[in-house]
Amino acid sequence: MNKNLSYKISVCVFTLPTLILFTVVVCNPILQTIYKSFFDWDGISAASFINIQNYVKLFHDSDFFTASNNGLIFAAFLVIYQTGLATIFAILFANKDLKGRKFFKSAYFIPVVLSVTVVSMLWLTVYNTDNGIINKVLKLMGSPYRQSWLSNMKTGIYAVAFVNAWQYMGIQMILIFAAIKSIPEHYYEAASIDGASSFQKHIHVTMPMLAETYKFCLVLAITGGLKAFENMYIMTQGGPGTATYTLTYLMYSAAFRSNQYGYACSAATILVVQCLVFTILVNRFVAREKIKY
Amino acid sequence: MRGKLVNKLVRTLLYVFISFYAIVSLYPMVWMIFNSFKNNREIFETNVFGIPKVLRLENYIKAVHSFNILRFFENSIIVAVCTVTVTLFLSLMFSYATARMKWKLATVSRIYVTAGMFIPVQIIMIPLVILARNLHISNSLLSLIIPYAAFELPFSSIVLYGFYRTIPNEIEEAATIDGANIYRVFFSIIMPLVKSAIASVLIFVFLFSWNEFYMALIIISNNNLMTLPLGLINFQGQFQTDWGAMAATMTIASLPTVIVYLFFSEQVEKALTVGSAVKG
Repeated sequence: MNKNLSYKISVCVFTLPTLILFTVVVCNPILQTIYKSFFDWDGISAASFINIQNYVKLFHDSDFFTASNNGLIFAAFLVIYQTGLATIFAILFANKDLKGRKFFKSAYFIPVVLSVTVVSMLWLTVYNTDNGIINKVLKLMGSPYRQSWLSNMKTGIYAVAFVNAWQYMGIQMILIFAAIKSIPEHYYEAASIDGASSFQKHIHVTMPMLAETYKFCLVLAITGGLKAFENMYIMTQGGPGTATYTLTYLMYSAAFRSNQYGYACSAATILVVQCLVFTILVNRFVAREKIKY
Repeated sequence: MRGKLVNKLVRTLLYVFISFYAIVSLYPMVWMIFNSFKNNREIFETNVFGIPKVLRLENYIKAVHSFNILRFFENSIIVAVCTVTVTLFLSLMFSYATARMKWKLATVSRIYVTAGMFIPVQIIMIPLVILARNLHISNSLLSLIIPYAAFELPFSSIVLYGFYRTIPNEIEEAATIDGANIYRVFFSIIMPLVKSAIASVLIFVFLFSWNEFYMALIIISNNNLMTLPLGLINFQGQFQTDWGAMAATMTIASLPTVIVYLFFSEQVEKALTVGSAVKG
């Protein structure tokens, strides 16, 4: 009996600190945000209940549509660039004949460990109209074409998305690479015996085996795009105008620039709903059955 | 014969392709390091792309003397060390209890915490700022360390849980028969067995807390408490026309994480894969 009690106490000692910290700092604030999204609240004085008016206002806010649209563009760009390139590189590097593959893998991953501030400021100088290296390279190649990449209404969002895609491509490459490595060799041997070319092997063996990994990668890229903020905050301040606004930006400026905390909470809630919807969609349409080796 | 030629051509094109992307991936950083040793005339006109001809250190001297970079550096180190310690300590105990102790709510508790990995940080920020204000920690680095640790708990618990599960059950049984209590078993027998997992988590959480920007931006307003990612954007305005000095501050800020990655790339990659493989 006594032993049983001391066992229970030790379970509490091991788990309670984590559970309490997680509840106070992560779980409770989530509920708070959703709750407060139904209030008119400036963050300091008492909040007053206004039903769904924040959401009504949000859906009539033209910035909301710019922001959501940009989130989708950003997400699509990340999926195509990151997941696409990562697949190609991971397959190439899984081939043992490729010399220097370790070097290339590290070279592609290094931007991941830099801070988003450094990367954004760096690309700000790379994109610079007068002295940036992109325009200098264009000039070197004899092209008179010059572009102010970031302050252009149309290219702005893509220029920003590129920086994020460029920085974090390495994560997906490593994930897909590790997944390919864990596919048992005899699957490929069996395919060889059936006379499959190496291209066919990847389409019919590698790809289906990677479904679980792709699910994760897609969720990572899509939610990463919807949540985008840091790159625009540093590179464009949401501009020109509101051309590179995202929902996180909308939330940030509502709360911390104009003290509309309740409104900001509704933007945050909608952002999470968007992420959730896409996560469910990905899980619904990619690999419904678990793979067993 | 022709097949061989085609094969060779394909190989060459392949190498051209991956080398090209290596340049795309690395050159911006290399260019930044080059710039940190150049003056404006070299950066803008005489030596735009190449290796600096003279190693000018004045940009680094300027970064240290005229700006608060050492202060930011110090803040970043304090935040990183504390976050890593708290996260490791808590998640080592928590995932031990969920992976290896028998109690009713073990699975529920584990899922509750690991679900946090998929929660966008945006949804907790506003109440968190208010919480920091109410707890009167807005003016200390604790206001960063606590949320950082809480937010890294899901990830590190997932990684450690996976490792704990691979240890055979007999180990604890043998130790308990010998009369050791559960805390002794945990600290002197189990902990040494998960050393490699601890290394992975340590490095990963370090990288996260060193580079974190969004929470820091919202929570920290005092200049003296800024970590590097946040402090750096202050230079942006001041250095606008002085690209050399800006490159020097950016190089200083990036050095620790790049070095850590170069030495421990395998642990970083392992942590990433384990973290993504276990879900729900």
